[in-house]
Amino acid sequence: MKPLNLIAILLFLSGAVWALTRSERTVREIQGSYFSAISPFLKSGSKTEVYARSFLEEVRLSKALEAELNTTRSAMGRLPIIEAHCLELERENAQLRHSLDFKNATNFNIAAAQVIRRQPTTWWQTVEIDVGEERGIGSHLAVLSNEGLVGIVDRPGKERSSVILLTDEACQVSAKVEDSPEVGILSGQRGQFEGTPQLRLKFLSKNAVLRAGQRVFTTGRGGIFQANILLGTIISVEKGAEDSEALVRPAVNFADLGTVFVVLAKDPPKK
Amino acid sequence: MTRYTLITVLLVLASFVVQQFLPALTALHHSRILLVQLVFLCAAVTVGQPTMLLLAFVCGFLWDAHCTLGSHGGDPEIYSQPVESLRFGYSIVLFGAMGFLMQGIQPLFKQGKWYFSAMLSGLAIFLYLAAEYLIITFVRGNLIFAKATALQMVYTSVLTMLFSPLIFWMLFGIASWCAHSINPEAGKKHRRHF
Repeated sequence: MKPLNLIAILLFLSGAVWALTRSERTVREIQGSYFSAISPFLKSGSKTEVYARSFLEEVRLSKALEAELNTTRSAMGRLPIIEAHCLELERENAQLRHSLDFKNATNFNIAAAQVIRRQPTTWWQTVEIDVGEERGIGSHLAVLSNEGLVGIVDRPGKERSSVILLTDEACQVSAKVEDSPEVGILSGQRGQFEGTPQLRLKFLSKNAVLRAGQRVFTTGRGGIFQANILLGTIISVEKGAEDSEALVRPAVNFADLGTVFVVLAKDPPKK
Repeated sequence: MTRYTLITVLLVLASFVVQQFLPALTALHHSRILLVQLVFLCAAVTVGQPTMLLLAFVCGFLWDAHCTLGSHGGDPEIYSQPVESLRFGYSIVLFGAMGFLMQGIQPLFKQGKWYFSAMLSGLAIFLYLAAEYLIITFVRGNLIFAKATALQMVYTSVLTMLFSPLIFWMLFGIASWCAHSINPEAGKKHRRHF
């Protein structure tokens, strides 16, 4: 082996060992610098993705509209187009009102955010949202939608943050089952990239008496998630030798995440 | 040669930027084009071992900066069995291993048979994803290997491999611009032929 190659291998291995032994704080600093450097490109990337999604939505709507238009064009002229547009605006308005109601009704101090990027990495179930440290976002804050718990903030940036979804194996939530003394740890499952993802509620008692359809909520224990946030409903229960596990259908439709809310204050303000 | 090496490093950095614009394809089992890995693999076969290792370090370091998840946090009494995350820096080793794999058929590439390298890049990406998944399985336990995961790996490898001729074309162009030969034996044969 050439001496230069040997030196290169030794340097490479030293560099790899150096990287592998960095503390989490150092890694976060490295990640902060990296994302600051590529931030302008990420913004453009997110915009492109949002445009692409709205374009696809437009295409979908256009097809529906075209079919409708063909049947009524002779009788109604331009009216169906205007009507369809109004319906779309009405739907959007209703959705926004629903989100606003949620924001007003909740006891938490929350910040509304838009999902701007989905699954930027190969293996992790994550999304990126358009709020960051400038809006008071920090790591390990719960993220909700008007349907239930969405996930947890993993890496807050200056203007955008990364959120680990509840469907990821790494997102663990202390959970309880309604009308039951059962508590356990709910998390996503590995490799569930298709269809409706299912969650797994672990560490239930050996003889847990649960039935399909029972709702699962956060317990509020563990210092991250507030109590009584809806997580999902039980699909089935698997009894094991030492404990039981339940499969849970998430309350949130993760395929259609738009507006989400980051809980800023860990404890809800008392009224 | 120095100019070619520098431009190759810049090309790898540019691939990180372009990667941000490449979303996962939900219709194809969430597969994606792994441009960073592809650029590295194609470049690895055109350079010497020290440069390949430099590129592997840069790619692995930045890739982990892009992908590494933080710890779960929370009360350890409640979350007593946290799910382990991959350590920052593991990709450096994976990129290095892939680079050595690509350099294994460097003699063929130097003869002008770049298409072998293009095909090997697909295989290397599949092995990279499989190794990554196995490491996740090793640190987290429970060997779960769904059909969807296998299909995701296959589609990602094939999709990425399809773009390798484009990357090689760019690398040949850069080499020509830098007056640097990346497959000298093919050049000699060509001259002998005429």
